[in-house]
Amino acid sequence: MAIDMSQFYQVFFDESAEHLAAMEGLLLDLDIDNPDSEQLNAIFRAAHSIKGSAGTFGFTDLAETTHILENLLDRIRKQELGLRADMVDAFLECGDLLRGMLEAHQGRGEAVDPQSVASICARLRELSTDLPPDLAQEGGKAVAEGVAAPSVDKRVFDIQFVPTEVSAKGDGVTNLLDELKSLGQLEILSQPDADIHSVGYWQVRLISDLGQEAFADQIDFIAENGAWRVVEGKLSVGEPDPAFGFFDDSPGTPDDDQGYGFFAPLDPSPIVENAAASEQAGDEGYGFFEPLPATNVPESMPSVGADDEGDGYGFFAPLSTAEKMPEVLEEGDGFGFFVPVSPPAVSRVPATQIPSLIAEIDSPLPAVVPEKSPVESRAPAAKAAGPAVAAGESSIRVSIEKVDQLINLVGELVITQAMLLQTATQMQESAPERLVNGLAQLERNTRDLQESVMSIRMMPISFVFSRFPRVVRDLSGKLGKQVELKTSGETTELDKSLIERIADPLTHLIRNSLDHGIELPENRIAAGKSPIGTITLKAYHQGGNIVIEVGDDGAGLPRNKILAKARERGFQVSDQMTDSEVFNLIFEAGFSTAEQVTDVSGRGVGMDVVRRNIQSMGGRVEIESMLGVGTRMTVRLPLTLAILDGMSIALGDQTYILPLSYVIESFQPRMGDIKTLSNQARVIQVRGEYLPVVVLHELFNIKPSANDFTQGIMVVIDADGVKAALFVDALVGQHQVVIKSLEANYRRVQGISGATIMGDGHVALILDVSAIAGMAKTSMHKAA
Amino acid sequence: MEAITQNGTAVAEEDLVASEYLTFTLGSEEYAIDILKVQEIRGYEQPTLIANAPAFIKGVINLRGIIVPIVDLRIKFNLGKIEYTPFTVVIILNIAGRVIGAVVDSVSDVMSLNRSQIRPAPDFSGSFDTKYILGLASQDARMMIVTDIERLMSSADMELIDSATE
Repeated sequence: MAIDMSQFYQVFFDESAEHLAAMEGLLLDLDIDNPDSEQLNAIFRAAHSIKGSAGTFGFTDLAETTHILENLLDRIRKQELGLRADMVDAFLECGDLLRGMLEAHQGRGEAVDPQSVASICARLRELSTDLPPDLAQEGGKAVAEGVAAPSVDKRVFDIQFVPTEVSAKGDGVTNLLDELKSLGQLEILSQPDADIHSVGYWQVRLISDLGQEAFADQIDFIAENGAWRVVEGKLSVGEPDPAFGFFDDSPGTPDDDQGYGFFAPLDPSPIVENAAASEQAGDEGYGFFEPLPATNVPESMPSVGADDEGDGYGFFAPLSTAEKMPEVLEEGDGFGFFVPVSPPAVSRVPATQIPSLIAEIDSPLPAVVPEKSPVESRAPAAKAAGPAVAAGESSIRVSIEKVDQLINLVGELVITQAMLLQTATQMQESAPERLVNGLAQLERNTRDLQESVMSIRMMPISFVFSRFPRVVRDLSGKLGKQVELKTSGETTELDKSLIERIADPLTHLIRNSLDHGIELPENRIAAGKSPIGTITLKAYHQGGNIVIEVGDDGAGLPRNKILAKARERGFQVSDQMTDSEVFNLIFEAGFSTAEQVTDVSGRGVGMDVVRRNIQSMGGRVEIESMLGVGTRMTVRLPLTLAILDGMSIALGDQTYILPLSYVIESFQPRMGDIKTLSNQARVIQVRGEYLPVVVLHELFNIKPSANDFTQGIMVVIDADGVKAALFVDALVGQHQVVIKSLEANYRRVQGISGATIMGDGHVALILDVSAIAGMAKTSMHKAA
Repeated sequence: MEAITQNGTAVAEEDLVASEYLTFTLGSEEYAIDILKVQEIRGYEQPTLIANAPAFIKGVINLRGIIVPIVDLRIKFNLGKIEYTPFTVVIILNIAGRVIGAVVDSVSDVMSLNRSQIRPAPDFSGSFDTKYILGLASQDARMMIVTDIERLMSSADMELIDSATE
């Protein structure tokens, strides 16, 4: 992207600091004996986000360090590696170093000692290679089986996921389950609660003869960012697969290990006993824990075990907790590692102990970073205060409701202020000077206040767009296509909640364009196109909408093929359907014209989910396509809140707002400039172009104050390439207005996209320029 | 409620449960609506016109940051003198999650009526469809038309909602 990244640095610093704080809080909250998969995922995501944005902004030192951190986290998250206390230590330390780097980049504090960075990196690497050898083999074997021998008769998949709120509230989860059922035998092992629509942790088991690539995408779509995983095993009834011992409903015995196991540096004897016990049990599922007590624990935990102060980390091994652990875990669902509910007694004990324990220790990380860097000296203070304070340093999370309330109140304040000012002006000479001065000051202050309040919720869409170059690059490489991604309008601001929710559907649309739209280079050359395909991603405001376009210059949608496929699938179709009706068929569930199902798309799941997700945001998707030329998907999202640069125009005694982005120019027409077509439609020549004239007062049935064309003003507007000249009484001024929905309490009005409240407290309606230009076009067509 | 009043059967216990109603006048007629649907009462202010809206929809006003449509029930039902003075009253209603303002001649009072006091309305034809009338109530010499304001306002007749049910 050619945009100047430095303008986003501050955002990056804030976000990264927030992520670090969140990561630290989560790490501290983590119950090592029994880590919650959701927490692990959240930690991973935090690291991942830091890495991603650090890379984007060119902070390579941050990106490199986080990358190593992320690798280890990823392995733990995927259960290739068990979580151990020393890992958490390393993570926390790494987090401190990262914070130091961040501060150094911001120009605060000293540069971080490269030696300590190198040492933590080395330690993290060591931790990530340091895994029990037999497990590594087994894990490797299982993966190898999954990949290399897809034809093994029946395969068992243990699927875990946490659906996004959107998909859970909608039919996402239901659809996914239905889809999985159609692939094979489905068994739900655990679900958040009886209500299918509640957000939470799901675990299902699927027995199918298909590979996991058959459904992985769908889960990915439903699940919260990366909060899903699929573990494959062979169908072996009765005998739990060794590598996946934890997931089987075997009784709680293996979990006993977790109770003590690695985290009891105070007294090594239980470990040995336990190791013996687990060996006696002879279950291969114990493989995971076996080598730990014997070899790894003493070696990998010197920083904790050897150092006296390190014992303060006792929250990892309070003996009382360790004793309680087995009973509770036995009661658990037998999911061992992933028990999603926090067992009442156990997890709470360490959690509450953490802050107090840490607070008692002067320096929780004495052994590891010997240098007294600024990071180091900061760390204990932050730790002692606990995660709440750490998170509060850079930014706070406030519910959107509160922000909305604030915005409304400030709006009221502005109106009251305008009223006061008006009263004072009416008093003229008699108003005391101090009052007038005070009011002028109040005006400035309220304006500033309003601006800062407005900016709270808005974020540039570049936050979403920035991830797509990578998506396109990876995918085009995979598909053997040459694709260039062009983005525009990254600075278009939209509501934060929309930013979060639009990312998944957009990713899907882009993948779809890449897979189905753009042809292979040889086909493109044969069709006389450049071998390099182009995907354009565009965002802009249009009336009260945010419009995001995903366009490609690929093959276009084959109308006949879609119709044929629709018939085949038993949809009610006819040849008379319009193009847009036909194209909309691709949003139907289970519809795909791809001849081959790839792991990218083609299973016909996805587009329906895209549409549903967008509709759940109150938006809509439109498709325009031309065979051989390309396809354009247009996503329109309404704005519950957005600031619009508008021009206020007068029409009779009414004021309307014309979105400034549509306005090209305005001029006062002369008599005779306006010509008629078949005595109905009027046109005006502007710079060599004949534009249709839209007389707004006729359109809106309002008595104008300018009856004559020479008394009013022509405003040339351009909506999606359709130009028109809008005749209004007068231009009043330019404002930034807050878009309010007219539909919340009323209904849609033709030609109006929303409403806003003016300084004097009156409502002004915002013109829907594209609809008005459309009306002009149809009236021209009628006349022609 | 409807069923009971229309059948004329009254269960003694329910008779005693009184609901509060806000009464207002349109011309010479007096109407009563469930007070729980009323958010507030305020004076009339000049609303912003909505293009091509029916005459009884006066426009929209700004009610503390919310855009609220204003319906003049006098125009809708051809009642009373249509004039706007500082004493013209707007009842702000909270209906089906929406906020709607209704212009009436005047607001009379709040009274409690129990079910036995609400009698079924006879069938008659007129601009005011009987399906919006829950019944007639009388107190002293006054007769009040007890109106299902929610049903009325969300009906297709009022053109206030995009996808009105009836």
